[in-house]
Amino acid sequence: MGGGELRITAGWTVAGIIALALIVSVGLTLSDMRLASSQTITLVAKRSEVEVPLDDPFARVWNRANPVEAPLSAQNITPPKGGGDRTITARALHDGERLYILMEWDDDSEDLLVSRQAEFSDAAAVQFPVAPGENVPAFCMGDPTSPVNIWQWKAAWQADMEQGFVDVQDAYPDMQVDLYPFEEEAEFYPARAVGNVFAQDDRTTAVDNLLAGSFGTLTQAPDQVVQGTGVWRDGSWRLVFARDLNVGEDYSQFAEEESTNIAFAVWDGARGERDGIKSVSQFLTLEVSPDVAEPGGGVTVWIIVVVVLGAVALTLVLALYGRQRQNG
Amino acid sequence: MAKVYNWQLGREMDYRFPEAHPQWQFAAVFNINRCIACQTCTMACKSTWTFSRGQEFMWWNNVETKPYGGYPHHWDVKLLQLLEEANPGGQVWNGAQQGDRQPYGIYQGQTIFEAAAEAGNETALGYLPTEQEWTAPNLYEDTAKGPQGARNKLHSEGTRLPEHNTWFFYLQRICNHCTYPGCVAACPRNAIYKRPEDGIVLIDQERCRGYRKCVEQCPYKKSMYRPNMRVSEKCVGCYPRVEGSDPLTKGIPMEARCMATCVGKIRMQGLVRIEDGDWAEDASNPLYYLVRKERVALPLYPQFGTEPNIYYIPPRWVPRPYLRQMFGPGVDEAIDRYTNPSRELQAVLQLFRASQKIIFRYEIEEGEKVLDTEINGRPFQMYNDTVIGFDKEGNEAVRLSLEEPFHVRSEQYQNSI
Repeated sequence: MGGGELRITAGWTVAGIIALALIVSVGLTLSDMRLASSQTITLVAKRSEVEVPLDDPFARVWNRANPVEAPLSAQNITPPKGGGDRTITARALHDGERLYILMEWDDDSEDLLVSRQAEFSDAAAVQFPVAPGENVPAFCMGDPTSPVNIWQWKAAWQADMEQGFVDVQDAYPDMQVDLYPFEEEAEFYPARAVGNVFAQDDRTTAVDNLLAGSFGTLTQAPDQVVQGTGVWRDGSWRLVFARDLNVGEDYSQFAEEESTNIAFAVWDGARGERDGIKSVSQFLTLEVSPDVAEPGGGVTVWIIVVVVLGAVALTLVLALYGRQRQNG
Repeated sequence: MAKVYNWQLGREMDYRFPEAHPQWQFAAVFNINRCIACQTCTMACKSTWTFSRGQEFMWWNNVETKPYGGYPHHWDVKLLQLLEEANPGGQVWNGAQQGDRQPYGIYQGQTIFEAAAEAGNETALGYLPTEQEWTAPNLYEDTAKGPQGARNKLHSEGTRLPEHNTWFFYLQRICNHCTYPGCVAACPRNAIYKRPEDGIVLIDQERCRGYRKCVEQCPYKKSMYRPNMRVSEKCVGCYPRVEGSDPLTKGIPMEARCMATCVGKIRMQGLVRIEDGDWAEDASNPLYYLVRKERVALPLYPQFGTEPNIYYIPPRWVPRPYLRQMFGPGVDEAIDRYTNPSRELQAVLQLFRASQKIIFRYEIEEGEKVLDTEINGRPFQMYNDTVIGFDKEGNEAVRLSLEEPFHVRSEQYQNSI
């Protein structure tokens, strides 16, 4: 071996690797960045001291929340099956009274309408166990002994609220009809008359609060207590859900310093996705933290940069030190 | 998937739910030979159930001209093609093995449920019609099939029986209130149900979430999406009339509107009693007699596998291969029996559209022979028998003789109005 060659002993190599791993893990812990598989991802909702606006999922306050990425895949357990692989980015905050969940995902088109025969809306949902605890329900619509609470947002419902109810004459502006007999009588609009929330023309929320205890049991809850707004911009949706932390035991429970589970689902209307034709995640952990969400959007990135630079620097130092010892 | 018995196929088949049957089954016989396509049925339904905003394109009852017409366009051709692609060349029957529980033999091909099972993504084979396909519901009205390969030509010998070379016929369609409905199997919400009292299939307007899986997987395309309710609706079998809750008959079950208004007297609708998963033997029920005993009326596309409950007396002038594809292997026998009707069949055919009340039982009082001749090369006799129909309570609802009574006005009233 020539004197000019870089040589490091085995002992120094091990020390270097251990030190590097330590630095990386400390850095990741500080930044709340999780790298594990979807079952063990933790989404932390820190306390926000700044108002979280319900109508603006792009609000700056979301820079205070640490993003986690959740992989979604096709629902392929029960017909109708469908959906596909995609990734969503999730964030969460709370303000002591309300819990806010932010979802972000890529979608080429903004599909807002359900007024034509083969037209379907973009949609997204989050799902929680009704009762948090060790008995985590099946991530597919729960199970009879362990029901789930689902919040489903649909772009079409939001369009109804923002633009006014989209009726047939809006979808077909050139249509001509001589007369609708008994037009004011409710029984000729049966779904609306029996209270089906889909048929209502006076929606107050774009998010349905639902309960399920296995496939095919999804049912509208009596209390519509979830709000939400989605905004489509440059090929992706950003959507914020909000609900009071405490709404009674019938629905998912949240409290500071406690954890529950959360799963995500996304539907792409342009691909005819609805119902079981969806992309779904498994359950993640959702932790409602008493820690305050600090400002400084790029903090995570900066911590990672510092960690990586530090690790490189340390490796170089160790390598140089080892070489000096060899030479010495 | 459970195994269920489908007597129209003569075999067990796969279905999403285990066998469960109503006490009575809504059923009807449509005599295609008599239909003049006046669309009175269509308008009776429209003016009863689908005249409101959001239902403009909906025709729960429609009459289309075959072979080209269809509402939605080409619904049957499209589904036949999907079945053919799923199981090329396999949609065949063994018509030789007939029996009480397999009157048409055994279907050896795949149903819409079986054809979907391999991929497993859907419960039944189907498609969602496009917006355009729901428009122009009577497209190709009265358009005849001419000679093969010649455009806009009629055949020089177009109308010689037994099969016309230039032909069309009218197909009257409502929901078939199937025994194994595609819509019920398709609905991920379990929002569609079959009523235990009469087998009428309904969409729960409160549970439906407008996913349109029923629109996609009803092979007859009789579930329809109502855009301003954001849910699907379908033919309700005029269930208040069938229940007898229409005030007109004071609690006695009545035929659906499309049946009761039929000008051509082509329709008879009723309820058949179900026992052990099959039609209870009841030869005095006119529907049982026509479908199971005389076998003159046949299900529409039985190969789809839903066991539809509207039965058709096939048009006697149409080429048989076309009819066999549409009504199964019973076609030749049905046409033979219809064109050379037995004494009893002649009497029962009088009952069509004679009363608004559902006829649960009939009796025949024999009359004098009034005709002795030859039809289609075979001897034919007609007797002036009287057929009496009874309602649910066993009361006489209608009485008709084969020969229409002939009344001569007396001299005194010759010019009276």
